[in-house]
Amino acid sequence: MQRREFLKSSLAGSAAFALSGLTVLNSKRAHAATSNIELSAEGTYKTMVDGTSVYVWQFNDANGSGPGALTSGIVVNEGDVVNVTVTNNLDRAINFVIPGVMANTPSVSPGSSQTYSFTAPAAGSYFYTDGVNGEIGKAMGLSGPLVVMPADGSDRLYTGGPAFNRQYTLVLNELDDRLNAAVAAGGTYNMDDYEPNYYFANGLSYPDTAGDGDTLVSMNVGENVAIRFINTGCITYPQHFHGYHVNVISRNRVLETRVIEKDTTQVERDMCTDVILPVAQAGAYPLHTHYVPGVTANGVYVYPYGGALIVMVAA
Amino acid sequence: MLNKFQKIYTMSMRRGGGGGGNGGGGGSTTPPAGGRTFSYQAAPTSVGVSMMGNLTMADGASLRTWYFGSGFNGDRALAGPVFEANEGSNVQITLSSMMPHSIHFHGLDVDQANDGVPSTSGYVGRSMGGGGFGRVGNATSLGNSYTYTFTAPHAGTYMYHCHVDTSLHFEMGMYGTVIIRPANGDSNVAWAGGPAFDKEYIWQMGAFDSSWHGSRVSGAQTARYRPDYFMINGSDGANASNDSTVAISAGAGQKVLIRVNGTSYMPGIVRLGGLQFEVIASDGRPLAVPYVTTEQLCCAGERYDLLVTMPSSGQYTASIEYRDIRNGKALGTVTTTLTVV
Ligand SMILES: [Cu+2]
Ligand SMILES: [Cu+2]
Repeated sequence: MQRREFLKSSLAGSAAFALSGLTVLNSKRAHAATSNIELSAEGTYKTMVDGTSVYVWQFNDANGSGPGALTSGIVVNEGDVVNVTVTNNLDRAINFVIPGVMANTPSVSPGSSQTYSFTAPAAGSYFYTDGVNGEIGKAMGLSGPLVVMPADGSDRLYTGGPAFNRQYTLVLNELDDRLNAAVAAGGTYNMDDYEPNYYFANGLSYPDTAGDGDTLVSMNVGENVAIRFINTGCITYPQHFHGYHVNVISRNRVLETRVIEKDTTQVERDMCTDVILPVAQAGAYPLHTHYVPGVTANGVYVYPYGGALIVMVAA
Repeated sequence: MLNKFQKIYTMSMRRGGGGGGNGGGGGSTTPPAGGRTFSYQAAPTSVGVSMMGNLTMADGASLRTWYFGSGFNGDRALAGPVFEANEGSNVQITLSSMMPHSIHFHGLDVDQANDGVPSTSGYVGRSMGGGGFGRVGNATSLGNSYTYTFTAPHAGTYMYHCHVDTSLHFEMGMYGTVIIRPANGDSNVAWAGGPAFDKEYIWQMGAFDSSWHGSRVSGAQTARYRPDYFMINGSDGANASNDSTVAISAGAGQKVLIRVNGTSYMPGIVRLGGLQFEVIASDGRPLAVPYVTTEQLCCAGERYDLLVTMPSSGQYTASIEYRDIRNGKALGTVTTTLTVV
C-alpha cells in the first residue's frame, strides 16, 4: 500500500513537486502484492473551522493516513490481495463494506476485531464505509477512499485508459451537528431530518483545504490532471470548476460516453466521479459545490469561502 | 435561418453597445421579435446592482431580491440581463456598485483576474469589514466599477453570478445567463455547424428559501436551506404560465431551443409534458453523443440545451420538478405551458 501517493502519482522530475514540496511517486510493480491494513473505528471530537467541536466517527489507520485530514485511505493495484482488519472501538456494531465490491459482510461488535479480505477489483475509485447503521455511519464520518490503480501501476485511470500527469483524490462529505450530538449522547437520528451545516473535502474545510498538500490541487499548464471525486456523504455534490472545463471519464467505474466536457459535474451520493482536467491556463481558481451552502461553515460564508471549497493552482 | 428583421435588430443592438440602449425584456414588456424571447445586452455593456428588488410571488407575497440590472425597462427583479457575444470576440462587461459584489463568469473559463472571486480576483464596492455585509474580509476591492474582459468561448449557454458572500447573494437573485453565438453572429444555430432552431427560450431555474430574504449577510440563519418557492426566470405558480419568457409558444413543426440554466441550489427535472426532445449540449459544449429523452435532470451550476420540435397542435404542461439534494425527494414543481400556435 502506498499512502501519500493519494496526493499525486506523477512523472518523476515534474516541476510541480517544487510547488508542494512533496516527493511521492507511485511505485510501479509488475506483480500483485498483499496489503495488510489495520483500521480502528473511533469516536473522537473534531474541531470545525469556526471552532465548534463535533463528535465524529472515523476509521483510523495507525500506520498511515488517507488524504488530507482523513484518518485512513487505501491505495492498491488491481489484483492485489487486501486484508483489512477492523477493530471496533465504538459503542455499537459496525461492519466494513465497499459499495460495488463487498456487501453484507460480518459485523464486528464493540471491542472486537474482524478481518475483511478482498481482491482489489478493476482499477478505479471506490470507498469503504459501515453497512449496518444505515446512513448514520456515513453521516458520522465512518468512511474512506479506496483507489485501485491498474495492475501495472501505470498512471492511468484504468488499464488502457486515459493517462494523467498527476492525480488528486477528493473525498466529499458533510455533517449535521445535531445528528452528531444525538449519537454522542448514545442515541440515533432520523435521516429525514438530516440537514448538514458543515462540509468537507478530504475531511477539511477552507482555508485548511488550501493548506493541505493532498487537497490543494497544484498543477502545471499543459498537464492532464486526474481528479477522483468520492462522495461518502449523504447529499449530491455538483462540483464546479472555475477556469476550466474537464473531461468526465467515468461514474462509479462506468465510462461516460455522452456528456463529457463539463465545467460542473454531478457527484451523487455513493458516487465516484473520475475526471481529467487538461490544464489550459495558469492561475488560482476555486473548485466547489454549486450547492453554495456547501461552501459555508454553519451558514457563514467564511472569508473568503469556507466549507468544502478546494483551491486549484496552475503554474 | 435568420430573417431580415432579426439581422437588423442584432446590428442595431450591437451599435447601441454601451449599455443604455436595450429596450424590451422579459415579464410584462413585449418580447423582441425573431427567435429571441428575452432582450439581450451585447458586449460591451455595463450593469449595476439593485438590492431593493421586490418580487411578487403567485401567492401574493412580496420577497426582497438583489439583482444585476441596468436601470432600463427590461430589468427583471430576478435573473439579471442576458449577455450576448459572438464566439472569439473580445467581451467587456463593466460592473458598477457602491456595495461589495462581483461577477463570476461561470463556465466561460476566463482568466483569474476576471474570475470575480474576492481575494483571487477582487470585487467591486466597499467592504463593510468585520464580517459585515459582503464578507470580503481583506480581499482587494477593485474600486466602484470594474470592467471584466474575456474572449468569448465556444458558442453555448453560460451563467454569471455574484461571488461575494455567494451563498446569500446568489440565492437573493444575483445571477443571469450568458449566450455565446457562433462567430458569425448567427442567432438561429446553436454553434457553428450545430443544430438550427427557430426560437429560443432561457429557463433560469430558481428556488427561494423565503426566510433568507431579510438577511444582509450569511450566518446561522442561512445555515440550512429550505426552499419554499419554485420558479423559472423568477416566476412561480400561475405566474410561470403568464410569463412570456417562460411559456413556450411556437408554430407546428418549429424547432425550439430551451437553454436550461441551473441557477437553483436544488437540482430539477425538466419535462415538456411528455414530448420528446433532444439534449444537444451541456455547459457550453456539444454533447459527445446527443440523446433523445422526455426528462432531463439539471443540477446546480449545470446548463443543458434542449431542442424540441413542436408537435402539430395542442397545449402541453411543461415543468421543472425540484428535488432535494439530500434524498432526491420532490420539493416542489413549477409548471408552464407549451403551446402550438
Ligand atoms: Cu453580490
Ligand atoms: Cu458559479
